[in-house]
Formats: sequence, C-alpha cells, structure tokens
Amino acid sequence: MTTSALRPYTTVRIFMYTSIFWLLIGMIVALLVAVKSVNPDFLAVNTWWQGYFTYGRLRPIHTNTVLYGWLSPAFFAMWFYLIPVLTKTPLFSERLGVFSAWGWNVVYAAGVVMLFLGRQVPVEYSEMPLVIDIPIIILAALMSYNLIRTIMNRKEKILYVTLWYFLGTMIWLPGIYIIGNIPGAYVSGIAQASIAYTWVHNIIGIWFTPVGVGTIYYLLPKLSGKPLYSHKLSLIGFWTIGTFYIWNGPHHLINGPIPLWLMKAGIIPSLLMIIPVWTVLANVIGTMKGAWYKVSESIELKFLITGSLFYFLSCIQGPFQALMAPNAVLHFTYWTVGHAHMPLFAGFSLVAFAGYYYSLPRIIGRQIYSRVLMNWHYWLSVLGFLLFAFAMWLAGILQGFGWMDGNQVGAAFVKIVESLHIYLIARAIGGTLMLLGQIAFAWNIYKTATAGSRVPTEDSMPALR
Amino acid sequence: MASQSEKNIGVLMAGATVLFLIGVTGTCVLPFFDESINTPTASGKLRNYPANSAEARGRVVYIREGCFWCHSQAVRPVKADSKLGPVSVPGDYYYDSPVLIMTQRTGPDLMWVGSRYSPEWQYQHLENPQKFYQGSIMPKYNYLSEQDKKDLVAYLMSLKPAPTNQAGAAGQSGSQQTLKEIHR
Repeated sequence: MTTSALRPYTTVRIFMYTSIFWLLIGMIVALLVAVKSVNPDFLAVNTWWQGYFTYGRLRPIHTNTVLYGWLSPAFFAMWFYLIPVLTKTPLFSERLGVFSAWGWNVVYAAGVVMLFLGRQVPVEYSEMPLVIDIPIIILAALMSYNLIRTIMNRKEKILYVTLWYFLGTMIWLPGIYIIGNIPGAYVSGIAQASIAYTWVHNIIGIWFTPVGVGTIYYLLPKLSGKPLYSHKLSLIGFWTIGTFYIWNGPHHLINGPIPLWLMKAGIIPSLLMIIPVWTVLANVIGTMKGAWYKVSESIELKFLITGSLFYFLSCIQGPFQALMAPNAVLHFTYWTVGHAHMPLFAGFSLVAFAGYYYSLPRIIGRQIYSRVLMNWHYWLSVLGFLLFAFAMWLAGILQGFGWMDGNQVGAAFVKIVESLHIYLIARAIGGTLMLLGQIAFAWNIYKTATAGSRVPTEDSMPALR
Repeated sequence: MASQSEKNIGVLMAGATVLFLIGVTGTCVLPFFDESINTPTASGKLRNYPANSAEARGRVVYIREGCFWCHSQAVRPVKADSKLGPVSVPGDYYYDSPVLIMTQRTGPDLMWVGSRYSPEWQYQHLENPQKFYQGSIMPKYNYLSEQDKKDLVAYLMSLKPAPTNQAGAAGQSGSQQTLKEIHR
C-alpha cells in the first residue's frame, strides 16, 4: 500500500474511534472502583477475582485509561485534524500518522495488561513501567515530528493562536514524559517525590491544558460565527501558561515533608495561574458577546462553552486548594477526587466532545446521526458530573473536619468512613449517569460513521478567516 | 496584524523549551542539592532495608497491590494529623524509592503505623478488616500467599520512628530543622 492510497485524516479517524472504545472501558472500570468503595466485597468471587480486580489495581487502570486511552488520543485527533486545516497543507506523512495511532493503542493495551498484573509504579498518572513509557515517548515524538514538518510545509504563513498552543505541546508532551518517567525510576527520597509531583501536575498543566485551550480557540470562532475577541490576550495566555504551570508540582506537598523554599516555589506560581485562566475567560466572553443565543441552537457550542466554564472553575478551585490553610483541611480527602475530575472530564473532555461533533462530519462527509442523542450525551455528562463532584466535595469537607476533631486512627477513623457511605453511593450514581452519557455518545458516533446521512464533504481545507 | 516573530515557529519552540527547562531546574533539579533532603534521619535509616529482606519484599507487595492508593505516608504539622505521631521530615524518606507519600487517605495514614499495632493484629486485619471494624471499606487481603502476607506485615511493622535517645547527629539536625519550620 502506498502513502497515496491512504485517505486524508485516516489518523484522525483511528484516534477518534479507538479513543471512544477506551473511554467506555475506562468508565466501566471507574464504576467498578466506585462500587468497591461502597461494598469492598464486590467482585470478590474467588482469589483470582480478588487479586486481579482488587481496588488498588483497578484504580490506576481507570485513571490511565481515561487519560491515555481516551483524552490524550482525543487531543491527538484534534492535532491531526486542526493542523492540516489551519496550515492549509496536507499532513506530512499520513502513513507515519497511522503507524503512530495504532502503535499508541497497542502499547497502551500492553500497559493495561501490566497494570492488571500488578506491575505498577507508585507515581500517580505514571503507573505504567518504563517498558511502556519509552515506546510512548517515541510515539509522541514521532507525532510531533510529523506535525512540525506539516507546519513547516504550510501554505498559510500566519500561525493562528491554536497552532501556537499545539506547537508548545509538541515540545512539552515528550518533555514532561521524559522528565516525569525516566529519572524518577533511578533516584530516591524527596527529590524523587518532587519530580513525581511535577509530573502529576504538568501532564495536566502543559499537555491537556494548552492542547485543550488551543482547541477552544479554534472551535469558539467557528461555532459562534464571531472572530476571536483578542489575539494578543491569547498569546499572553500562552506565554504565562508556559512560564508558571511547570512550577506548580510542589503545591501537591503543601504542609508536607519538603523544604519551605520548595513549597513557596509551588504556591506562588499556582496563584499566578489566575492570569492565563483569566485570558481564556475574557476571550470566551468577549467572543461570545452578541452570540450567546447560539448556545441554545448549537449543541456543539453548548459542549464547548460548558467545558470552558468548568476549566475556568477548576483553575479557581486549584489555587484555592494551594493555599496552606484550605490545604490543611482538604488535602488527602475525597475533595481531591472531585477536583481532579473537573478539568479532565467536565472541562477538557467536554471540549473534546465538541471537537468530535464538529470535525467528524467534515472528515467523513456524514451528518451526526442524532441530535437527540447528542443532547442526552450533554445532559447525562453534565448532571452526572455535578452529582459526582458535589458528593466528593462534601465528603471531602466532612472528612477533613472529622480528622481535625481527632478521628485519625482506628475505630474513630472508621466512624468517619461510615458517615461518608451515602456520599460514595451518590458518587456511584453520578458516575453511572456519566457512563450512560458516553454510551449515547459512542452509539451516536457509530451510527454517524455507518448510517449518517451524506453531506457533500466540505473542502478539506476550510479557510481560516 | 501579526508581527514577523509570530510567524516563526523556531522562536516559539525555543521559548517553550527554555520556559520548560527553567521550571524543571527549579522543581526537579534543585531539590537534589538541598541539605534537609540529602541527610537521612534516624527514622529514615530504619527504612534502608537490606535487599531481599522481609521488609523489602513486603514493600513490593504493598506497591503491587496498590495499598498506597488509600493510605498516605506523611504526617503534617496540622491539626488533622495531630494524633499520627511525629511530623515527618524530608530526611525520613531518604531511602524511599519511590516515595509513598501519595494523595489519598481513604484509610488512615501509615507513616508510623508500626508503632500502633502488633504483628498478629496486622496479620488478622489483612485477612479480614471487617472483623475489626464493621464499617471498614478495606478489601480483604486473604487472597495473598502466606509469604506475601508475612512480608507485608514485616514491612508495616518497620514503619516506626527511631527511638528518641540520641539517635545520631543527622537525625537530630533533621528534626530540629522541621521544628524551626513549624514555628515560623
């Protein structure tokens, strides 16, 4: 098969379809974990089930699958769709793209098997061992190479701000993977912990955030029909994300066993994150001025605006938690679980959903099969998330103050655990709604690809105004 | 409207790289040069397990079964940690690779759990946590091999502070430093 035999955007389609598969797997595992938190004997059928499906192995499978099976590939799909569109240039090598896409899925599946076998590294979001990390780094670098070559070939000389954010992530994603996974395997002590928390924060901070914000900046003018409010503001946002985010790691160890200077080095940039977040908010509100009514007409826009709103709220909540006093109550509690889901599910996953609904019809020349299912997807996701998140936030506050009352070990600790039972049930119900929403999503995309009504394929290089 | 530099991807990528490396230097490189991190405390030295000892094997089981997802290992100088034992300091983790501070306390903190229970209690509790605490949501670890369970208990029992009587100069300077930080 020659390169020319591959249709343009094959890479995008592979990433889209496989990521939806992983999204469903990741959320089913999430539900198992949630039920196990309510009833620890759930699935404890025999020693085989007890061992392979123990909470401590399923939890990293959930987080890894939604992060690296779903959300990362979702944004790779955005990379591989938006970059050719914005540069008005075909992808440098579709063949290399397809190789990277299948390679990612194969390596990822091998990683899940290793997690089931208990081969986990106790560093959050980096649980997969080095034998998985290294091929992942190579694949990320290959994708970056492919896309940078595409950008260098570009016919449109001006780099729209989305390309700025995407180019930044092409340095930062392989960079943070190398820093976060390789040296930590060979060192010990608090220096290793500091590397681990720099990784935890920055796989979100300098990968999901800039790639998600870049996607928002493309979709917002397209879906609202208004030009971006301020180009300059978006560039300020880009450089301040690059400057401050990477420093945020130590704020995960506030009040913890680290030197005070390191704590300050984490807290101050956390507060300064208000600047890039504010630039995004100002740009979204400025762009939407006079077009708010379109939210009621376009479900894609509804996803995008809701995602942007939750991104903003996460970035208000984050610096709040990075203050020493709130952190002393909330750290180590369920609050963190609620916080972690806000940017990743309610924020950037919703942005990715908008991106899928926008770009898939333009790639395959078929309309989205059902607007009704799209609406179900939206409402189940958002309402499910709100139930989930408020359950976790309330549980976290109760837990934090319970410990402050002295219930820290033994029977007193378990008394607090028992009082949280109802919130854990609420979380499982919220999570079930979220999962049902994704089933509607997967079914809708499947029907779109196989039975969506045909529309003339848009020129594969829609102009950037 | 766009200036020339905004069309140049070299400028952009060089800038992104430099900013990244500055932050990495601050948070991932400088800690290697901090004295409080580089000096093991007496309690830290207790966690320097000989290779293939029961404690070292137990730590592997602790990681493999994901115990650390629900149990932190850090005592902070805050009210919520007041009954958990001495405040942990950087030198306590000198030999930990990787460090198991983690992020959740679904179950109690285990930094000094070795000083709270007997080995028999730990063994029975791993077998069936609900026998001790009806409302506990900890899974039963009765599926582990006898060897794994014993190793895990040995590891848990090793998590205790060093005796306070003159436990070595390094340990003292470490704890004094934290004391200063707490009073700041």
